[in-house]
Amino acid sequence: MIERMELFRVVAERRTDEIVVMTMTATLQWPLVSESDLDFDFLAFGMGHAADFGLGLAIARPERKTIVWKGDGGMLMSLGSLVTLARYAPENLVVFLLENRSYEMVGGQELPPRADFVELALASGFAGGGATSKGKVERIDSLEAFQDALPRILTEAGPHFIVLPVTNREKLPPVNHSDHSGRIQTLRKALNVSE
Amino acid sequence: MSEKGASAGKTVRKLHELGFTHALMIPDSESRLLYEALENDPKIDLITPCREGESVAIAAGLWTGGLKPLLVIQNTGLMEAGDSLRGCGVGPRVPLRMMVGWRGYGGATAGKLPIDSAYTYTEPLLQAWRIPTWRLMSDDDLGTLELMDHTAAETSYPAVVITGYGFKP
Repeated sequence: MIERMELFRVVAERRTDEIVVMTMTATLQWPLVSESDLDFDFLAFGMGHAADFGLGLAIARPERKTIVWKGDGGMLMSLGSLVTLARYAPENLVVFLLENRSYEMVGGQELPPRADFVELALASGFAGGGATSKGKVERIDSLEAFQDALPRILTEAGPHFIVLPVTNREKLPPVNHSDHSGRIQTLRKALNVSE
Repeated sequence: MSEKGASAGKTVRKLHELGFTHALMIPDSESRLLYEALENDPKIDLITPCREGESVAIAAGLWTGGLKPLLVIQNTGLMEAGDSLRGCGVGPRVPLRMMVGWRGYGGATAGKLPIDSAYTYTEPLLQAWRIPTWRLMSDDDLGTLELMDHTAAETSYPAVVITGYGFKP
C-alpha cells in the first residue's frame, strides 16, 4: 500500500509540463503539493468521467502528457470508459487509478470486494491497445517501486493505466467548489487556446 | 419541401464547412447513415464511446484542448448523459455542439400509439437546461447546423440541432 500524500509528492517533484486532471479526494490533496494552471479540478464536472475528459485533452494536446488521478469508485461509475480508452487513448495519456477500495469522499463505504481493476483493464483490451497499440497496464504496490517506475511512465509511449493501492492518514481539507467555468478558462489559457 | 430526413452526405459537407475536427457518436437507428458517412471521413475523426456520458466528457476535453468536436446522440443517450452534460457543458458553459436524434418523432407525429416517452421528453428536457434548439428535418434545414454552431460560440453554451427523421443517403 502507498500513502497517498507521499505518492502525490513524488509525482509533483518530477512533474514538468504535464496536464494533471484530478477528481474526488485527489482534488483535496493534490493542491497541497502542486499549484499550476495546468492542474484541472474535475470535481462536480460529471460523476465517473474524469478519465474521459482526460482522453479528450490528451488527443487535443499531443505535445505533452495528460495525467489523470482517478478513484476506483469513480471507475465503477463508468466502466465502459475502459473500453473506450483501450480503443482511442493516445500515447500521452496516463491514468493513475487510486485504489482505496472505498467511497472515501462520502464516508468510506466498501467497494464490491471482488472487482479487479487490472483484470478489467486487461479484459477491455488496454494492454497493447490505445490509438497506437502501445497501451500498458500495471499495478504498483509500493512507493519505492513507484519512484523507480515514474521516470519511465512519464517518458515512454503509453497510454498507461496504472493501479495504485493507496491509504490515507491525513485529514482531508474541506471541499471547495470553485467556479467551474473559470477552471476551464484557466486551463485553456495555460494551453494557449482561444475560441 | 424536400423528402423527410437530411442527406447524410450533405450533412457531412456542412460539418466540414463548419470546421468540426471530431464526431462523438454511438450508432443508433436514426443516425445510421450519418455514422457510416463519418466512419471513413478524411477530415472528421469519429470516436465511438460506450455511452453518451463518456461522449460529453470527451468532447469537453477536446474543446478545452483547442479542438472542435460535435456530439451526435440519440435522445435516449441525451437523457442518460444528464449529469455529464450538466457538469461538462451547462455548468462550466462549454459550447458543446450537438445533434440529437429524436427517437419517436416519426411515429408520434403520424399519430401512432403508443407514444415513445423518449419523444415526449426531448424538447422539455432541453428547454429545462435553457439549451437552444433547431430542427433539422430535411436538406432545406441544413442551415440550422450553422445557426447552432454560431450560437454555441457566441453564448459559450451548449446548442442543439434535433433531427426528426434521421438521414437519407
